[in-house]
Amino acid sequence: MSEPQNTGPQGPYPPSAEMLATPVPQAQQERSAAELRAAWAPPKGWRYVTAVNNSEIGLWYALSAFGFMLLAGVLGLLIRLQLALPENDLISADRFNQFFTMHGSAMMFLFAVPMFEAIAILILPALLGGRDMPFPRLSAFGFWCFVIGGVFVMGSLLFNAAPTAGWFMYPPLATQDEGPGSDIWLLGLSFIEIASIAAAVELIVGALKCRPPGMRVNIMPLYAWYVLVVGGMILFAFPPLIAGDFLFELERSFDWPFFDPTRGGDPMLWQHLFWIFGHPEVYIVFLPSIAIAAMVVPTVARRPIVGYSWIVLSAVGTGFLSFGLWVHHMFTTGLPNISLGFFSAASEAVVIPTGIQLFAFAATLIAGRVKMSLPMLWIAGALAIFTAGGLTGVMLAIAPFNWQVHDTYFIVAHLHYTLFGGMVFPVIAGIYYFFPFIRKKMLSERLGRWAFWLIFTGFNVTFLPMHLTGLLGMPRRVFTYPEAAGWGWLNMISTLGAFVIAAGFAVFVWDLLRPKGAQQQMPRNPWAAGTLEWSHNIPAEYWGARSIPHITSRYPLWDDPDLVARMDAGRYYLADSPHGHRETMVTSVIDASPELVQRVTGPTWITLLAALFTGGAFIFPTFHMYAPALVSGAFALVCILYWLWTSTARPPAHEMRDAGLGLSLPTYASGPKAVGWWAVWITMLGDATAFASIVFGFFFYWTSKPDFPPEDAPHAAPELVALAVLALTASWALTLAARQWNAAGRIGRARAALITAPLLTAGGASALTLSVQALEPTTHVYPAIIWALMIWVVAHALVGLIMQLYCLAGSLTGKLTPRYDADLWNITLFWHFLCLTVLVAGAVIGLAPGVL
Amino acid sequence: MRRDPPPQSDPDRREFREEAESLWRINLAPATWAAHFVTSYAIAAVVCAKAPALLPHARLALLLATGLALAVILWLGWRAWRQWDYRTTGDYTNALGEAEDRHQFLGHAAVLLALISAIGVVYGTLPVLLLESCR
Repeated sequence: MSEPQNTGPQGPYPPSAEMLATPVPQAQQERSAAELRAAWAPPKGWRYVTAVNNSEIGLWYALSAFGFMLLAGVLGLLIRLQLALPENDLISADRFNQFFTMHGSAMMFLFAVPMFEAIAILILPALLGGRDMPFPRLSAFGFWCFVIGGVFVMGSLLFNAAPTAGWFMYPPLATQDEGPGSDIWLLGLSFIEIASIAAAVELIVGALKCRPPGMRVNIMPLYAWYVLVVGGMILFAFPPLIAGDFLFELERSFDWPFFDPTRGGDPMLWQHLFWIFGHPEVYIVFLPSIAIAAMVVPTVARRPIVGYSWIVLSAVGTGFLSFGLWVHHMFTTGLPNISLGFFSAASEAVVIPTGIQLFAFAATLIAGRVKMSLPMLWIAGALAIFTAGGLTGVMLAIAPFNWQVHDTYFIVAHLHYTLFGGMVFPVIAGIYYFFPFIRKKMLSERLGRWAFWLIFTGFNVTFLPMHLTGLLGMPRRVFTYPEAAGWGWLNMISTLGAFVIAAGFAVFVWDLLRPKGAQQQMPRNPWAAGTLEWSHNIPAEYWGARSIPHITSRYPLWDDPDLVARMDAGRYYLADSPHGHRETMVTSVIDASPELVQRVTGPTWITLLAALFTGGAFIFPTFHMYAPALVSGAFALVCILYWLWTSTARPPAHEMRDAGLGLSLPTYASGPKAVGWWAVWITMLGDATAFASIVFGFFFYWTSKPDFPPEDAPHAAPELVALAVLALTASWALTLAARQWNAAGRIGRARAALITAPLLTAGGASALTLSVQALEPTTHVYPAIIWALMIWVVAHALVGLIMQLYCLAGSLTGKLTPRYDADLWNITLFWHFLCLTVLVAGAVIGLAPGVL
Repeated sequence: MRRDPPPQSDPDRREFREEAESLWRINLAPATWAAHFVTSYAIAAVVCAKAPALLPHARLALLLATGLALAVILWLGWRAWRQWDYRTTGDYTNALGEAEDRHQFLGHAAVLLALISAIGVVYGTLPVLLLESCR
């Protein structure tokens, strides 16, 4: 075996005070700074769009999400204009439906969730004293998917073809809707959901593996805790919606009756899948915004946060409890009262952790010496509005009250109070707080106060009366109402208020975008904050941290007065880039002890191309153009393979890298030490959740329908199902064996396994496809869901097959060796999940019909 | 095959392994709540859809499940309380960057999560106690 004996870190760690106090020679400082600057320089001119730096991608992401938010806000104004007077005919009923559907969809899918991703991508590496996210190209790919999908979905408004069934797309209205509106919603937003999952993977791995040395989990910034929780929630919340979209689109395109009760389907399944996504989603947008408050509050109180552990409790606790609330959107659907009781109880319980974090903020402010700043003003507004929204939430969690106000303007008032207070205000606070970090300029104090008071007043004038409008009986989503209803004056007040909000946003946007060239250079740490992002360089540098510090406390800038000077001098880790590579440090999950120097990827066109072709694969089917979609999908696959092959898990030229302070770190890792392995693990957790949602659908039909499966229904051929399960399990076993043989240096055997395994995979996938040929999916929901399970497994098996061939090619060309076997570790992990999927699907397709 | 760890860091590695488990461990009490919640929802849904007459038995079973869940949470909470070790150290915030602080912090967080999970389980049992029929 040629494997080196020791592939772990070598040298002293943690660094001693003496080592840190040793000055760095001036010549060395200048040389290493020049190296870093060259390695991290963003591309110039028209190549600027190929940038993948988190500072660029995060900024584009945030600006696009903000742009979509302004568009959706204009839709809101048009809605308010139409409703200002009774029997108004400013816009037609159909346009009105398009506008409220897109207002809600865009605010949720194109603003709230992407804004979290944008801000996190922008600031998380800096909070962690890092260089960049672990997978910059994945961020770029996610961003371009988001922009393409968002423009496509919003663009449909211009062609009068936008979806009209409301932002939660209930069947049968949405399944039977004429025109491409519903398809645009389903495919366009599924595409964006995939971008969200990509961002979640990136952020979780970033928070777990890319912290600076010494930043143990008990001292990491609270924002990182929130990012972890929210990333985890995305993994469990978005996949049910993706599974629902998959079933929904099969019904729209091929008439498979998942939600059609005349053929055994059930529209309630969509409601369940949508709200299993939809309710946690509220917390997915709320938690990261309140995380901004958790950064701003200690700074303005000029003391550490009170109750760090309590805030961690509230983030994690809310993350869990928020999954037990989804049926409170379905209180009027006739579920058994005892079931409603469970969800009502959980909806009340979630108030406890939510309240705890607000009390922790209040306690910090009381215990500190508050210096009222503009960001704090917005946080204070947020807390006031959110508390009001939370109180109506407690009312709504009580099922009998909910029955009274269901689908009235009371709901509209409640949700706007929670979202403005829980998301819009804290995010604007975050923009005021972090703008100096992002753009190295200050926003105007005077304009900021104008914007705040306009938006705060306008918001309450608009939405406070809506509680009353709702209690008086005005249903939501009506395009007009008779004068006799008596709601006219309330609606007029709301409309006037909406324009005050708009005026406030105009001031804010002007402040944000006005040229600030004449402004004098701002101080480096304008708020006198204690966290690492304020060690940034002014004027801006693209390298993230000048050197990656060793961290020993929660507020390092307050606790270690020498830290910034030492970072600037390049005293800490990775202060140089001797080979001109972009690199960041990978540390252990719990204690952040140094493990690896990870090479990260630089500017490229390939992510843009991959996103364009992936977009084609989603957008063409909207118009039933399946051949172009397939071609586009194939090109996307080629692009992604090229991207992976050329820039991931390549054998490094140098085994070890001198990281500074005497520490020498390996440059390659495979298995659980590698960031790629974690990314696969996290992705597959989300994938398994989507699969579980489809299996849930199967059993849901069984409980909700007396004749599922129907008595005389043909079933899948049991011997073919068994054959498929056997072949695919054998393929999994061979993949695992290939990894072990390869690591033991028996390359010939490993290659033989990687030749046999894809054949078995192909055979297994074919057998499973053949096993269901006697079933006709358009006739009844039973054959349809069996087909859906089959398609899911076969599609994953094809991906698994490509992975096996990829590793075979790697082994034959020297990309994959016994020492450099990260690819094989990653695909084995994929195959573990695939094997589990196959076993469950085989049991449901082959065994369940006999048992039920 | 995992490669052998470098010999010089064996004690650290043991410590790390123990603690790698504990980032999961703070999730165990909430996961118990989730299991209790899903069980309650699933049993109620299936019984009400297929055999409403069995509801009294289902309620009894769910009360037993509550007892089990609370016992598990109590046990987890007690272990976490010992890990936090507040009575001996008197350190409430664990704000420093030592391994001991991290260890106790994770205990503290787990204690709090056990508390909220227990409240969640009790809340989730109230419908079982108060409602005697599916409708």
